[in-house]
Amino acid sequence: MLINPTLEKHSKLAALLEDARVWQRKRFLPLLGIGIGLVAAGVGIFRSMPKPITSVPPGYVAVVNGKGVLMSDFISQTAYEAEKPFRQTSAAERRRVLREMIDKELLVQRGVALDLPETTIEVRTVMSQSVTAQVSAPLLAVEPTVAQLREYYDRHRSDYTTDGTMTVHDLVLRVGGYQNVDQSIAQAESDAGNAAYELRSGAAIGYIKEHYGFVDSGRSDNTQQLDFAAKIHLGPSLYKAAAALNTGEVSDPIVESDGVHVLIMDQRQPPSVAPFDKVRNKVYLAYRGAEQKQATEENLKILRGRAQILVAPGFSE
Amino acid sequence: MSAPNLERVDVATRRFGLPRGVWKWAALAVALTVGASIIAVYHVHYVHRMERRLLTVLPDQVPQYPDLVGFAVEQAKPLFREHCAACHGKDMHGNTALGAPNLTDKVWLYGTGRVYDIERTLLYGIRSGESKARNVTDMPGFGVRGRLSDGQITEVVQYLLKLNARPYDVGAANEGQRIYYSARLGNCGDCHGSDARGDSDYGAPDLTANVWNTGGDPDSLFHHIKFGEHHIMPGWLGPLSLEQIRAIAVYVYSMSHPSQPRPAPQPGTNSYAAR
Repeated sequence: MLINPTLEKHSKLAALLEDARVWQRKRFLPLLGIGIGLVAAGVGIFRSMPKPITSVPPGYVAVVNGKGVLMSDFISQTAYEAEKPFRQTSAAERRRVLREMIDKELLVQRGVALDLPETTIEVRTVMSQSVTAQVSAPLLAVEPTVAQLREYYDRHRSDYTTDGTMTVHDLVLRVGGYQNVDQSIAQAESDAGNAAYELRSGAAIGYIKEHYGFVDSGRSDNTQQLDFAAKIHLGPSLYKAAAALNTGEVSDPIVESDGVHVLIMDQRQPPSVAPFDKVRNKVYLAYRGAEQKQATEENLKILRGRAQILVAPGFSE
Repeated sequence: MSAPNLERVDVATRRFGLPRGVWKWAALAVALTVGASIIAVYHVHYVHRMERRLLTVLPDQVPQYPDLVGFAVEQAKPLFREHCAACHGKDMHGNTALGAPNLTDKVWLYGTGRVYDIERTLLYGIRSGESKARNVTDMPGFGVRGRLSDGQITEVVQYLLKLNARPYDVGAANEGQRIYYSARLGNCGDCHGSDARGDSDYGAPDLTANVWNTGGDPDSLFHHIKFGEHHIMPGWLGPLSLEQIRAIAVYVYSMSHPSQPRPAPQPGTNSYAAR
């Protein structure tokens, strides 16, 4: 076979070029991809590194341990403290306010570091109240109608009961001491029954005291008292008997540890439900309070739904 | 013809395995991409620089810089549409059904309509539950809370009509005036002032400006006094950045102060050409 040397030389060159092209095709694109990938990764790594704050960002007046103090808050505080528009405040006033704000920020940060929300009741109270205020704000935006207030009033009538008043005499016949040492409880009860009968028939209190040996118990000062005060002074059992009496009525004998009591009701104003129009404002405030409570409960429901709460064995909520 | 000639042609027309024509297009595409990237980088840099300037300048000084106002307005428009227009309307004319005020007039509940005042309201809101919010006062429901009867409220409404030089009943308005100043009844001057001009420190509106958030007809005035008002506005610090809040504040300011310098053209756009 005859081979042209020039042609052979060209063929070798062509083969070499072809090899180079194949290599380029095979290697170039992967290498390019690797290069781009490395560049992207490098940029990502360096970008993700937190930048130390070396200057105050726009919109802030100061940065304290990485925490910004808003320019708007500074303007507001300066104007408030100087009692004039910010533009009229002096450099000294601004410096003083800024110093105060930075000091406060430092103290707040220290408080966070000391975990005050965990350890200080006042901080916890304020935080929980602030959360409640925020969640109930949208609910409070809508003023209640009269119908809503009236419906609330009807459901909570007992909350609008006016306290009753009473002027009551509490006479006691001592047993086992004081005036009648030898008198038994049965005898005293019998005497007290007679005394009550006579009082109902119109006998004077003075006469009953003198005739049967009754004395004022000292629990009632014979002046008008609100029901809750009378309850405190008389005690539960005597108050229960007194509350059931109308004006001019006399109770049956009531045995207590210090003797047998007879109650004479001089004046009684029983408790009553205040009409809606008289207590509108109270109803309004209670309705708003109930709205806040509802908002808080719904918020807590959501928070509980998201939270992991573990309770120690043997304890329950 | 021989193969070597073909090979030469091939070698001459292909680079890295691709025809030269493709490389030309690729080069064009790369050039365009680079060009677009440069423009994008320039735009990002421009926005970043303007945002910094917008915040670096004290709020009430921003209107002195038309380029800043123009930038802020462009940035704020989509934000306002997304976050504010639901209550205040796309045109900022407010919504009386919601009690959302018109932001294009010169009557302000809080402050005097300066950029700082608007920004402060945007940052923390009104009765939003945040302690820095504007929440000193509330319009109590005088009827619903039993302070005034329906008849007395009607008389106060007549007095308000008189204050705004609208048709009113003389006798009822005189009685309404008495109720307005009575400490035991309306005590309205306590918030709205003895001259009924309001107090923007507390959000008590001027009752003589004939501007009403909830509609100024006698029925809505009656309803307003009887049931009170407790409208809220959320605080936007958090959901929006400081730059965005400042931009919206400037936008609202520019709408209520049309005599202020108009927005300047922004590089690369002709947004303001028609203005």
